[in-house]
Amino acid sequence: MDDRDLVGRARRGDPEAFTQLIMQYQVPVYNMALRMVGRPDDAADIAQEAFTRAWEKIRTLRDAPFKSWLFQIAANLCYDHFRRGRRYGEMPDEETNKVIGLGIATPDPQERAEARERNRLVRESIEALDPDMRLAIVLRDVNGMAYDEIAGVLRVPLGTVKSRIARARAQVQEHLQQYPDFFPSTREDARAE
Amino acid sequence: MPSEPRIPMEPTLEELSAYLDHELDDGAKARVAEHVAGCADCKMRLDGLRQTAYAIRALPMETPPRTFTVPATSRRSVRWAPVAGWLGGVAAAMLVIVFGVMHLSLPPLGMGTAGAAHPVSGGLGQGAAPYAQGAPYRQVAPLEGSTRYAPDSALSASSSNSKTVMDAQSSSRSLTISTDAASYHASGVVTIHVTTKGLSTEEASSVRILLMRETGQGGYLVRLAAPSNAPAFPSDYQAAYSIPQMQLPAPVAGNYTLQVTVDTSDHSGLVAWLPLTITP
Ligand SMILES: [Zn+2]
Repeated sequence: MDDRDLVGRARRGDPEAFTQLIMQYQVPVYNMALRMVGRPDDAADIAQEAFTRAWEKIRTLRDAPFKSWLFQIAANLCYDHFRRGRRYGEMPDEETNKVIGLGIATPDPQERAEARERNRLVRESIEALDPDMRLAIVLRDVNGMAYDEIAGVLRVPLGTVKSRIARARAQVQEHLQQYPDFFPSTREDARAE
Repeated sequence: MPSEPRIPMEPTLEELSAYLDHELDDGAKARVAEHVAGCADCKMRLDGLRQTAYAIRALPMETPPRTFTVPATSRRSVRWAPVAGWLGGVAAAMLVIVFGVMHLSLPPLGMGTAGAAHPVSGGLGQGAAPYAQGAPYRQVAPLEGSTRYAPDSALSASSSNSKTVMDAQSSSRSLTISTDAASYHASGVVTIHVTTKGLSTEEASSVRILLMRETGQGGYLVRLAAPSNAPAFPSDYQAAYSIPQMQLPAPVAGNYTLQVTVDTSDHSGLVAWLPLTITP
């Protein structure tokens, strides 16, 4: 995705171009913040603040990719959020929120309830991670970023990215394994089908 | 070929995890693949990590609870104030008319640039330029003859899809947008009514109407032109737009957001938005 032209225009003060950048990044930035801090209102505040700061500072952006830079700003705001003593807040009932993207609506209420419960457990296990690991895994598995892109956001070496993602996954897995039905096929004592 | 297959060294947790992400170099990748093929334990470790990653990726992408906006900052004040001062009230009366479809996932330069936004009150090209410069929008006006300037239009009163926002600084300023329905057929016509209250031509500079759609990866937007001879602020008009003329990217059916922005000279701005659904 090439947003250099939009970034160039935004750097020259064109709010229209910046609006388009917001359109392009609002869902990924919001979802990153949401998975970091938990509460939709907090995540929306962080996303808006990230766009505000990006707009104010975009003239200082040189050759760095806009996307990494924007996520870096948003990530720092998530850390600020924790430093201010704000805790990870649980989401309200997710079903009341409009869901887009990967969420596949299943017509069966029981399946839907199960999917909701699984998602709740996943959110709970991500919440249990320390913020550094949580951010790495969110950028990878929620935002789908490549390792070098993540290294650019976190400003850490590639090896650190690799190790944070691996340790985060191992911890999430360990957490989810507490629930007997979460990974039925890998359970040693899985019931015979 | 050795008589006994030599299984490469036990991969580390990091290697298995990076293997899943296709983030190993070719040598390491081959080594992990070969080991996993011959080691049930490591295959189970890898499957566990894979299922964990998939479980996280299965979290739905949520729609933000509100639309994010370009903030009115001091930076903008510095930049825009002289322009506003120079053009004065005449610029404020201007409504920029642009209409176009932009796929935000495409480089904007690839889009048609035939018509930049043009000012509608005569002779104000320079005033419009900051928004229009390089803006790769095509223009389509509201449907011929659809424009009404009716201070007491029945549309907003009867509309089930209507939104009023007040200025945070001054409750006497407001912006109301209404549509004649909340759901439209893909071949239908959307009628929009825009009303401002408490905004003089000195305070308000332009109305921008955007029809936006978000997908999981970015989104796109359409600019709906205000009528070419819309009156100055306070503004009150309605206009109709043909959905086929918007040339929305397929699939056209889906959930959209209609956003109307009034830029004000003190940079607070008013933004209102409404959900719109287009059915196949
Ligand atoms: Zn092994």
